[in-house]
Amino acid sequence: MSPLTTTTIIDEKIPSRLNLVSGFIAAVVRKLENLKLAEEVVFDLKLCLHEALVNAVKHGNKHHEHLTVHVLIKADHHQLLMEVTDQGEGFDAAAIPNPTADENIMASHGRGIHLIKSMMDKVTFLNDGRTVRMLKVFKGGS
Amino acid sequence: MDIKVEKINDVVLVVLAGELNMDNSNALREVFKKSLKEANKKVLVDFEKLSFIDSSGIATLIEMFQNLGKISGRLCLCNVNKKIIGVFEITKVHKLFGIFASREEALKNI
Repeated sequence: MSPLTTTTIIDEKIPSRLNLVSGFIAAVVRKLENLKLAEEVVFDLKLCLHEALVNAVKHGNKHHEHLTVHVLIKADHHQLLMEVTDQGEGFDAAAIPNPTADENIMASHGRGIHLIKSMMDKVTFLNDGRTVRMLKVFKGGS
Repeated sequence: MDIKVEKINDVVLVVLAGELNMDNSNALREVFKKSLKEANKKVLVDFEKLSFIDSSGIATLIEMFQNLGKISGRLCLCNVNKKIIGVFEITKVHKLFGIFASREEALKNI
């Protein structure tokens, strides 16, 4: 992503409260409207940001309200980058069980990271798992 | 999210509108619990006006699928939009539910 043409859409820290997540995401989606993205792309971004934020609040910061979640979203004409960083102990993303395996298909949780990996073009876990970096590449004018 | 419930013969029809997510999946869970308490075996969820689902919404549907399984019941979905079908396919849960293109078709086959 070229620093010369990149626009920062969001650079905010939010308290670790699940009841703030939907409102925050609605505000992000309103800001994304300026980029005139395809509806399908907005759906993917919204769902992946939602899952990453919920994970950060629940599993990262363990609902401790004094800990924050940092959300950074940048875009240029070709791609959009979202980074969600919590202040927890980190985790090993590779150790998360595959939720689509027969033995896990009925599980009551554990689908968020799988959805993110499937819907975004590149997903990287940094900072011992405290940061999830998600990249969406725009295709065909989206 | 708005939830409307009606009974059509022996089928409990649950019509959802808006977004099914962590904020409201408990409301849907309560509707499902009530249906189970009344020993209804056939539940159809109409997704026509539902625009978004997250992993907690999926978990709520799976929980109901399991609970209905215990009483030899069936959970079906209809009018599911392309993006939500995509989410079901990614998580492979589309294999669990009967998914129909229209309410009429679902009511005929549930």
